[in-house]
Amino acid sequence: MSGGPYNYSYIFKYIIIGDMGVGKSCLLHQFTEKKFMADCPHTIGVEFGTRIIEVCGQKIKLQIWDTAGQERFRAVTRSYYRGAAGALIIYDITRRSTYNHLSSWLTDARNLTNPNTVIFLIGNKSDLDGQRDVTYEEAKKFADENGLKFVEASAKTGENVEEAFLETAKKIYESIQDGSLDLNAAESGVQKKPTANGARSLSADNAEGRNPSSCSC
Amino acid sequence: MADTLTDFVSEDYLQEFEGKYNAEKQNGVPSDDTTFHYAWCLVRSKLLTDVRKGVMFLEQLVKKTSVEQHHKRDYLYYLAVGNARLKEYATALKYIKSLLQLEPGNRQAQELEKAIKKSMESDAIKGVAIAGGGVLLAGALVGLGMSLLKK
Repeated sequence: MSGGPYNYSYIFKYIIIGDMGVGKSCLLHQFTEKKFMADCPHTIGVEFGTRIIEVCGQKIKLQIWDTAGQERFRAVTRSYYRGAAGALIIYDITRRSTYNHLSSWLTDARNLTNPNTVIFLIGNKSDLDGQRDVTYEEAKKFADENGLKFVEASAKTGENVEEAFLETAKKIYESIQDGSLDLNAAESGVQKKPTANGARSLSADNAEGRNPSSCSC
Repeated sequence: MADTLTDFVSEDYLQEFEGKYNAEKQNGVPSDDTTFHYAWCLVRSKLLTDVRKGVMFLEQLVKKTSVEQHHKRDYLYYLAVGNARLKEYATALKYIKSLLQLEPGNRQAQELEKAIKKSMESDAIKGVAIAGGGVLLAGALVGLGMSLLKK
């Protein structure tokens, strides 16, 4: 494995944050294993997941840090934010308190990541529409006001889970393409790997895809 | 980038939590949370002396925590991480076993157990390679000695 060519071109670091019990680990598990975990115990500290995805024909390895939502961990989980290219902030659509705390999570995310970090808001448990405590419109408005991407998703049914993770990667990839994300910056959250088909340099990528909208996906 | 056993804390965070711990220590006994936060950073340090110190703090915390207290799981988990980093694999696995007794089927604990066993195996292979290299070297020295004697 070591020393050989990588079967992906980039590594993107993600963090998943939000209140306790909103389903952060279940969303990660649904994304990496395509399975729903019922009765998932509270995460201890920080957990880690990976999956290789494809965006615009580029294989990208997502390294995802899933943080514990318990308050007592929060002081230390902040040390994982640095160098994240993507941040998924989760709330539970059936528990208003988890929505009310979003601004505090967003402040942390903004202060501790870099200006190019893509922040995606996810309202989890969309399968429990009957117990809804936060309307879609209200959350959408909050997301728009704060310049966040937003979906409602369900770790249980898998609805919109794939979309949220992939959409985040696509936005990061677009920032690389248009040059706004500097790969050489220590905390960009992105690493470029030489690919098997002879290291295609980033400048070559840029030349091909000068215009991000030419990206077919 | 990294996984649970190879992720390192940055120097400034380690210093921040060390500072908090020392400040509380000056006014008496640091709180369990402060001690835990500092220990959690220490076991993620690149320096093994730090990791050892973190393990020591966690051992003290776990000793004074009864089974019913839910913080026990946190201490056991990071004791396993710390010991694995020190290559004290048997001890690391012992702590994971205690955690799995508290919470049978905890997937996060099971994943860590797998990672520790993998790390243990890869170290064992390296160990064999080093021992093998040693044998070869000894053989070469004997050979050299023999050829010198012949002369």
